[in-house]
Amino acid sequence: MHWIAVQRAPEAGGSGVAAGDAPALVDVDQALAWWALRFTPLVARVEAALVLEVSGSERLFGGRDALLQQLFETGPPVALAHAQGATSLLALARLWAQAPQAPIHTLPLHSLAAARAHLPTLMRLGCNNWGQLRALPRGGLARRFGAGLVDALDQAYGTRPELYPWLTLPEVFDAPLELSAAVENASALLFGARRLLAQLLVWLRARQRGVLALELLWELDARRSNALHVDAHHQGGAQGRMELRTAQATQDMTHLQRLLSEQLAQVSLPAPVLYLRMRTLQTQALGGESLSLLPEDQRTGDSLHQLLERLSARLGRDQVRSVLLHADHRPECMQSWCAAVDAIKSGAAQAYSKRARGQFVPQEMPREALYPTWLLPQPLALDCDEDGPLYQGRLMLLAGPQRLEAGWWELGDPCAGMGMGGDTRAALRDYYIAQNPQAQCVWIYRERLSRRDGADRWYLHGVYA
Amino acid sequence: MPALARTSADFLDAIHADVWHAYALSTAPLPVLATGDAALDAQLPGGGWPVGALTEILQPPGVHSEWRLLLPALARSGLGPVLLVGAPHLPFAPALAAQGLALQRMLWVTAQSAASRLWACEQALRCAEVNAVLAWLPQARSEQLRRLQMAASEYSKLLFVMRPQAAQDEASPAALRLHVQPHSATQVPASAAQGVDGLHIQVLKRRGPPLERPVQMQARSPGLSLLLEARHALDRSTARA
Repeated sequence: MHWIAVQRAPEAGGSGVAAGDAPALVDVDQALAWWALRFTPLVARVEAALVLEVSGSERLFGGRDALLQQLFETGPPVALAHAQGATSLLALARLWAQAPQAPIHTLPLHSLAAARAHLPTLMRLGCNNWGQLRALPRGGLARRFGAGLVDALDQAYGTRPELYPWLTLPEVFDAPLELSAAVENASALLFGARRLLAQLLVWLRARQRGVLALELLWELDARRSNALHVDAHHQGGAQGRMELRTAQATQDMTHLQRLLSEQLAQVSLPAPVLYLRMRTLQTQALGGESLSLLPEDQRTGDSLHQLLERLSARLGRDQVRSVLLHADHRPECMQSWCAAVDAIKSGAAQAYSKRARGQFVPQEMPREALYPTWLLPQPLALDCDEDGPLYQGRLMLLAGPQRLEAGWWELGDPCAGMGMGGDTRAALRDYYIAQNPQAQCVWIYRERLSRRDGADRWYLHGVYA
Repeated sequence: MPALARTSADFLDAIHADVWHAYALSTAPLPVLATGDAALDAQLPGGGWPVGALTEILQPPGVHSEWRLLLPALARSGLGPVLLVGAPHLPFAPALAAQGLALQRMLWVTAQSAASRLWACEQALRCAEVNAVLAWLPQARSEQLRRLQMAASEYSKLLFVMRPQAAQDEASPAALRLHVQPHSATQVPASAAQGVDGLHIQVLKRRGPPLERPVQMQARSPGLSLLLEARHALDRSTARA
């Protein structure tokens, strides 16, 4: 058995401020326990300190020295003091006596928790350290000070097993935070949320999971509520909530923080907020990141899903779009542009994988190569004179007609889900390629059977760029 | 004295390659991507579109030639996404895919305000996977473009900014500035029945001496010009018959 006792270093004080400019944690003691659980499942709290039994997990980390190095060099959440020993009481005593290497017999009595109540009596007996206490007759000691002291001494010397209520990690992260002052501005909630995110990071690391969805809840000060301002966020009474989703499980708190600030910027608070709470809705086990050996693959910058989420959070989901093709003859129904965030989450995510992207083989002059590169969302009705259609001048027809007769099965039925809207009736069109005096090639069509009086109606539908 | 002159000429040639002589095209330290057109490549420093620098393309209002100019290079630019920010119309994906830009690579970003378009461009340039950003920024100011230029060079991305012809007199931080215009019908006899097919590319700014004559290029995509030529030949044969 090998025990490590850790306690927050005195200089860290009660503030729980970590080194550097990392945000303060919400609950430092809890965060410390979660952090310790990464290294061994046997972690217990004794007064203000934590004891870790590491003999079971040493091998996993490559030996005791390697484990200790990881423990204290890979950034515990706060500055720590630590001591080791063969039993938990020994490790604790060395920690509290601030004598990490002291032999067991010389440890002062005040470092044994069970002896503290009897400290004045023991001192008067001339008993100052563990060695002297152990030298006293057991029977007399037990009669005078109770069995607890003898048992504790046995445990400290390792002749009696030690049992603790072991700490465990919660299945779901759910942390409350009482704000030190009422917050009236939604974007100022970010300061509190940052502390919750820092706490979340410790939990995620301990669980080796990444977050997919989390929610931030806030409680409004109902006495100062302004009923005029109640918006969709606050229909549930004096509570507000916001949900945050990412496409890939992440432990990247700066990314979550950016998303959070974008979303908070769109929230208005009807009353000051006193309490915040953060809860994970969905998490996923996180595989390690694989790095490439080749230098050219190690490019700097964000990943694509981070970019898409950030753009969608500020501009709106439907402002960042990727394309899907449909088998249809009407140009406006051949493609649909839909939110890229959804596409990357659904099955289309494979489309972004390198393998799928590499599969593209250009055909030898497909029919689509003759289509214009820009399409007008709605065909533009063109003015005509007796010689033909006009668009920035007289249009000269270069090629055509290409006859299109489709969509008769959707008579009167709007082109649902195509994102085009408008009046999609049966398309009876003759397409032409034309050129205007600026030498701009355009794609126009003449609607057949459009008017009783037989006059042609011309529309602009695409631009060759 | 002749000896001295020769020495100084030798000296000029011997100084570091990073020092660029104003009479020669810069042998760019920047990586480039060939444009797919040999005549244009010959006039661009390094022989192609600069990767990691801003390229500004100026066009007359209502006239579009940007895809003709950029598609051959974009098709070969890699496998990562190509972002279109503030495009003037709906991109027609089947046509773009047929000319080599894979469907999965197209990402279309629309934004109401000019500021959010600039923001979106900058974010896109910072993304590791993005290959190229095409932005339509008619109102962008010089210092805003400079910011994009810095981001493009830091993350070495292809960045093309399409601007109106009117911006020609404004200062620009772009490494390469082109004015692109198709031959208009007024410049050629109206008797050319099948229309004209030519693109004037005036190099306004490059790392090299100013270019006197515009570069000529086909204004239409290869497929389209093939179709129109066939059509024209057919018309002539029927007229003769």
